[in-house]
Amino acid sequence: MFHGIDPRSPIPLYVQIAERVRLAIATGTLGSAAPLPSVRQLAAELRINPATVIQAYKDLEAQGFVEIRHGAGTFVRELAPGRRARERSQQAGALVRKLLAEARRAGVSLPELQRALETELGAKTT
Amino acid sequence: MSHAIHLEHLQYRAGKHFEIPNLDLHVPSGSIYGFLGPNGSGKTTTIRLILGLLRPLSGRVTVLDLPMPDQHAQILGRVGYVPEQPHLDATLTVRELIDFQAAFYPRWDRARAEELVERFELDGEHLFGRLSKGQKAKLMILLALAQCGDLLVLDEPTDGLDPVVRRDILSALITYVSERGATIFISSHLVHELERVCDWVAVMDDGRLITEAPMEKLKQGTKRLVVMGAPAEIVNPPFRVLTRESTNGGGTGENWVVGDWEPGMTSYFEGVGASVREVIDLDLEDGFVELLRSFRKGGTGR
Repeated sequence: MFHGIDPRSPIPLYVQIAERVRLAIATGTLGSAAPLPSVRQLAAELRINPATVIQAYKDLEAQGFVEIRHGAGTFVRELAPGRRARERSQQAGALVRKLLAEARRAGVSLPELQRALETELGAKTT
Repeated sequence: MSHAIHLEHLQYRAGKHFEIPNLDLHVPSGSIYGFLGPNGSGKTTTIRLILGLLRPLSGRVTVLDLPMPDQHAQILGRVGYVPEQPHLDATLTVRELIDFQAAFYPRWDRARAEELVERFELDGEHLFGRLSKGQKAKLMILLALAQCGDLLVLDEPTDGLDPVVRRDILSALITYVSERGATIFISSHLVHELERVCDWVAVMDDGRLITEAPMEKLKQGTKRLVVMGAPAEIVNPPFRVLTRESTNGGGTGENWVVGDWEPGMTSYFEGVGASVREVIDLDLEDGFVELLRSFRKGGTGR
């Protein structure tokens, strides 16, 4: 779930971690009441500051995705119907924005991008 | 905010060629504090001053809220220290060294020592002098962790080690911090490693502190800009100009590296008839190199 976390990225590590967890919740990889890795475990595994993991979990709690039960751990909350779907579409939007930004930087035009997408999918997008 | 280490107006001189003219340092309690600087910049000297192994000409050293060197025994009982060079007796075995060290520390954690012997795959019967470089480093870390200090001072603990050993050592340190909430002061020039774990960074060069800031602030605030049509003289910018040079393409384009940058500051350039074509993020290593370059040119380092 946390593969490819990039400490050199300008996006703070706690934001990256929270994003990964949200994605896992949105796609159902993490179901309701599923436990998140403990702070200690995840910090040691990623070799990052425990405070960074705590910050990520606190943000997720503030956004209503998880519940921190002191002494017991952090668990995915029961989400209102539609919340997972909404979160998925937000994730899709973020992926597309990232793709478009990369394309702009590389000087790839929109029609070129669309053609590449169609080739990859093996289908027309319009 | 309370500080695990606090240096005020510290002055130190070693011979004619090395001087720390006036050093202030604030290491927040509970932080993992990265102390960066090129070789010879004064990192080890500063560490020795913190631990009372050297005496400053003037200034004040406070460690764990106690004055150094007046209370050095009380302080050192709560500080784990890993020096740059292993200083242990080469003719003793791993087991003997652990027992020897344990005798000095009332808070010694026998269970943790045993666990780390296992985890680091150390053989208690081996002589210290016969251990590989990586095994020596692991043993040094073990000894520092098992004494259960509130502060760990590590002088380049992973430099020159292979990636597997570096990983094992970092994981052990992180587990320790999660469990005990201790402060870690770690000097290194392995910037990428520090970028992962540290929440505070200081950069030193030539006996002087160039910057001391929370990691995120330093990373978010250091940018490379591509600027068009900037006037030769700029007055009171809201950011710090670290370097400025024309781009290879000629024309009016320039590459700037700035510190203390915040989103929205591009409007400053519009105000002086220039424009910012691009704002490029820098990672810690790039930022570190630019800070040093600017400092050495006599720029406004601080």
